[in-house]
Amino acid sequence: MIIVDALAKHFTAPAPGGRGFSLKRHAPQVVHAVREVSFSAPDGRITGLLGPNGAGKTTTLRMLAGLITPDAGRMVVDGIDVNERPREALSRLGLLSDARGLYPRLTARENIVYYGVLQGLSRDAAHARADTLAAMLEMKPLLERRTDGFSQGERMKTALARALVHDPANIVLDEPTNGLDVLATRALRDALRFLRTPEGGGKCIVFSTHIMQEVERLCDSVVVVSHGRTVATGSVAELLAQTREDDFEEAFVKLAFQEELHAGAAAHQPQEAAR
Amino acid sequence: MSFANTSFLRSALTVYRKEIVDALRDRRTLLVVLASSVMMGPLVLIALSSFIASFETRAEKREVVVLHMERAPSLRNYFERQTYTIKPAPADFEQQLRKSRLGDPVVVVPEGFEEAVLHGDVPVVEVVSDSANKQAEGSSARIQRLLQGFSRERATLNLAVRGVSAELLEPMQVEERDLASTQTRATQITGMLPFFVLMAVLYGALNAALDTTAGERERGSLEPLLMNPVERAALVFGKWGAVASLSMLIAVLSCFSFIPAQWLLKSDTLQAMFQFGLREALLFLAVLLPFAAALSAVLMAVAIRCKSFKEAQANSAVVVLGVSVLPLFTVFNEGGEEGWHLMIPALAQNTLMTRVLKGEGFGVEQVVVPIAVCAVLTVVGVWAVAKMLRTAAVR
Repeated sequence: MIIVDALAKHFTAPAPGGRGFSLKRHAPQVVHAVREVSFSAPDGRITGLLGPNGAGKTTTLRMLAGLITPDAGRMVVDGIDVNERPREALSRLGLLSDARGLYPRLTARENIVYYGVLQGLSRDAAHARADTLAAMLEMKPLLERRTDGFSQGERMKTALARALVHDPANIVLDEPTNGLDVLATRALRDALRFLRTPEGGGKCIVFSTHIMQEVERLCDSVVVVSHGRTVATGSVAELLAQTREDDFEEAFVKLAFQEELHAGAAAHQPQEAAR
Repeated sequence: MSFANTSFLRSALTVYRKEIVDALRDRRTLLVVLASSVMMGPLVLIALSSFIASFETRAEKREVVVLHMERAPSLRNYFERQTYTIKPAPADFEQQLRKSRLGDPVVVVPEGFEEAVLHGDVPVVEVVSDSANKQAEGSSARIQRLLQGFSRERATLNLAVRGVSAELLEPMQVEERDLASTQTRATQITGMLPFFVLMAVLYGALNAALDTTAGERERGSLEPLLMNPVERAALVFGKWGAVASLSMLIAVLSCFSFIPAQWLLKSDTLQAMFQFGLREALLFLAVLLPFAAALSAVLMAVAIRCKSFKEAQANSAVVVLGVSVLPLFTVFNEGGEEGWHLMIPALAQNTLMTRVLKGEGFGVEQVVVPIAVCAVLTVVGVWAVAKMLRTAAVR
């Protein structure tokens, strides 16, 4: 169970040309990456975090991972406050971030076991988990190969297995289908559906994406994020009803870009949120 | 809860083990470091020794190459009394000297030498050499001394005939006394060895330091690594420990490679002068191991700020330059060793290692200062990496 409540984060970007030799100093730009994101992801369900590029999805997930400290708001994982007890929260989270680099000189198994031991598993337990996950993700033949030269799909599977090695109750995936072909995407979807079921552990799964089809096919509930704010929450059917649309893409555009649609592009340029 | 038993030490050891395995699998880089750094010192030593050996054999041979020896029987007699072997000069000796094919200077005796000497005229004897021909040039001074010996003998005899004491010619005697011990003299030749050892330590650390920081950032594996419930300090300690261990391994290999290298020394003189045994190797290590630790931390602190391996290489060039230039202080500084030398990293290590080679060794009070400096650098470096780690991961 993951609860995110009124999360906010701004960054100070260096002023344009400010680092050069020019004497005129511009004021540094403040970028509000996340203004007010709230959602609640229950166990045994897949929650989709849907939003256009730069909506603040990755920043939100990085805050959840404790990599960035939020300016305001609260994040609770299985009753543990992320800001107060970050490491305890991390051990209950399986995170597949945007950056999913592997160690090319280690085998897939070694990559997975490394994280398992860092998560506190014994070496034997980590090896056993690597075998279990390899069976689930259909990557057994990859296990003893060095990851140098892996395809995108193979990398993603390894990175996912690495994120799930400690069998976390909560799984957070940042744009997991980026760069994957149809078969790999399907395999991933099947794996996530299995993890949601009671046999798979009834996990709480949150995954961010900007692809509508992913959400339609997979998610039990959807959180639409735009310009750093949660703008709508509900199942696909509920969001369609709310916007009185038949097509989910139309519904999404209405929800995510309502500011642009209403205010008109020229009058107001919400560029600061477009990061 | 799995979190509770993930102790600091266990995490650090896990990271350490992984980084060591990772670095040791990078065979190509390791081989390059071994070949270029570890082998360099011994190879230079052996090359130097064969160079010196060729000089020694030339001096021992006691040969003099003369053109027209038949014109000077008295000179021949003198040469033979000095147990020199006389070799006739080849016809094209000038050509051969120029092309370095002849390794001895040539003494040219003028016509009518014998009569000129008898009549008190001063005949001119040429010693022909080529300053670009190192071998001939090296023997030139020796041959000139030999000829001056002949002159002096003639002069003394002439004065004795006239009843004048030879001491009038030499109112004073000059004798040279060299205070340098054999080993001190050897450091004129072996003085560059500490530099090669320092470079070996540097290159041992460089690649691993960059790979575990900037390399990890470039691969995108730093962000997921930080998503494990591990203290940042444990991650950094593990990484630093691995880098420092590799650097220390190279230091050990580099120091102990001198011991077998001296068996191969061709020059007996150098072999006698260059005494590098277990004691010297251990003293070298006492100096080098803290340096390897500090260097690893500093290189990592420089590299963690860089987004890519390439950028880190460019930035670490400053450190590389520092380690290679600072020891040169002792070369340019004629004032000799000063107290503050021991406070400058690289320079201090170079100074102490040179003392070991001179056979002087060093006491605890001398090694304490560089070790303290290295300890401070290590702490600052590791702290900087830990501080930068989280920012580095998400940027």
